[in-house]
Amino acid sequence: MNLTKYYYIGKINFVNSFVYVWDRVASSAFVGLIIFIFTQLWQIIYSEGQIISGFSIAMMLWYFVMTESIVTSLPSIVKRVGAEIKEGQIANYLNKPYNYLLYQYSTYLGKAVFNFFLTFLIGSIVVLPILGGIEFNFLNIPLIFLAVILAISLNFILMMFLGMFSFWFEESGSLRMIYNKIVFTLGGMLLPLEIFPQWLSKISKLLPFSYIAYYPAKLFVNFNFGLFWQVIRTQIFWIVIFSGLTLMMYKIGVRKVSINGG
Amino acid sequence: MVIEGKKTKNSNYIIQVENLSKSFKLKIKEAGLVGSFKSIIKPKYKKVKAVKNISFNVKKGELIAFIGPNGAGKSTTLKMLSGILYPDSGKITILNKNPQKDRKTLSYNFGTVFGQKPQLWFHLPAIDSFNLFAKIYDLDQQEYTKRINYLIKRFEIQDIVKHPVRKLSLGQRMRCEFVLALIHKPKILFLDEPTIGLDVVVKKTIRELIKEINKKEKISVILTSHDMGDVESICERAIIINQGKIIYDGKFKDIKKDYLEKKVISISSETPIKLSIKKGIKNIEKRKFDLKIEVDTKKIAIKKVIDALLKENKINDILIEEAPIEEIIEGIFKKK
Repeated sequence: MNLTKYYYIGKINFVNSFVYVWDRVASSAFVGLIIFIFTQLWQIIYSEGQIISGFSIAMMLWYFVMTESIVTSLPSIVKRVGAEIKEGQIANYLNKPYNYLLYQYSTYLGKAVFNFFLTFLIGSIVVLPILGGIEFNFLNIPLIFLAVILAISLNFILMMFLGMFSFWFEESGSLRMIYNKIVFTLGGMLLPLEIFPQWLSKISKLLPFSYIAYYPAKLFVNFNFGLFWQVIRTQIFWIVIFSGLTLMMYKIGVRKVSINGG
Repeated sequence: MVIEGKKTKNSNYIIQVENLSKSFKLKIKEAGLVGSFKSIIKPKYKKVKAVKNISFNVKKGELIAFIGPNGAGKSTTLKMLSGILYPDSGKITILNKNPQKDRKTLSYNFGTVFGQKPQLWFHLPAIDSFNLFAKIYDLDQQEYTKRINYLIKRFEIQDIVKHPVRKLSLGQRMRCEFVLALIHKPKILFLDEPTIGLDVVVKKTIRELIKEINKKEKISVILTSHDMGDVESICERAIIINQGKIIYDGKFKDIKKDYLEKKVISISSETPIKLSIKKGIKNIEKRKFDLKIEVDTKKIAIKKVIDALLKENKINDILIEEAPIEEIIEGIFKKK
């Protein structure tokens, strides 16, 4: 299989993102505002300079910058894919010599990488002057970036999986809502899982959602190789499982495509 | 399910369609709140037959028009040909392959221009989209450069390929859409309303280019259009579809001779309108200074009517139109 075409699909999307750069700056700035509010909140909670569940205040806030940057880098794919299926846009993909899922993946990864860096930059500008940096080994950057890319990929494939339900159901709005809230909470976007009661923390760590937000952010604020390998392995495991399921649903679903008119 | 039968030996045909049918399930919802609840608990479906048992063949290099009113099943048929929709029954063979099974392989041979569904990247220059398609279709870089230079010159888009597509006029954009569809030298070109919204001059250029490319590269062209002008100037053969069935398959010239005998004339005049001729004329709309009539050209030459109108009135404005597609279909049914 020739994969270079997917590289070019990703590239044209990355380039196309610059067209919407101000649009994106605005939404990243809004995420920056949320980070600022949390900064104030955590400063009150941490007023006695203690450590909470192994997190210092600096770790806590950098953790939050990381999870926000990852989770908000992808738009709501569930909704978009659903609309493409319902409104017949999918026809434009079906008569081209590429794999539909890989096409979508390269499309969204191109955009997401752009969005991730932008939000991370704005988040850092908010947090850095208040707290300063964290203890950090710059040699780990490529490894953390790999975990981030895999996290975005896992988020992508989970949303694609839910989007496939649009072949059967008219509305996928509620699925999207529930998924987002799960990533916010059980995925560890808002709070590190250590803060949860132990039983909930254990369950959350077993589910794939924590590999989107919690684990890559934890690696970022507290890197160790043992954890790194475990995270990468599990991320790949979930990506493979859900790619298989999504592909299966796609193959069955695409036979049901009905495009009326136009 | 499509069953692939034995491969045909007749290599004259690049598309063969046998007894093709397709129906859609439509959810019916009764009006009001109660109706909404009912449709949640026990959804009701209505089966709509979009395409009913149609068969036809297409030769290499043929120019064919699919004509029919809205909802006749034209687009559904085209989408089954290109492998996007799955038929309920029947068999499609294109270049000895099954479009549903071998969609990816066959897609290298298809080009599409849908007037209402642009494929160019809206915010980027057209050349970026061309380059991307070259990668998508795995074109050899050298061959692609030769091909794109030829197409750019032939479609006269040298000056605009580097401008973002959103800054182009509709005519310029459509010429770029055509180049995009032809980059990979397709064997079959699907055109769905390609000249919609274009002015007369641009329409003419595009029609001529389609014919030229067809001749030069032996591309088969399958066109759907509401514009009888498109059909008349591009296609030799027409297939007329109505309510999912083929009601005519033959030379377009013959339809014209047999069924397009009626023309519609609208005039407005400075003086109250008079017309002494009565034979072969049906009033559609008559006001003091405006008149719309249908002329049966079998009974009276159109020239005679126009001459009379010009002589007897002081005309401000005049419009002569072909009878609409519905009229042709009605004519075919009456003859049968």
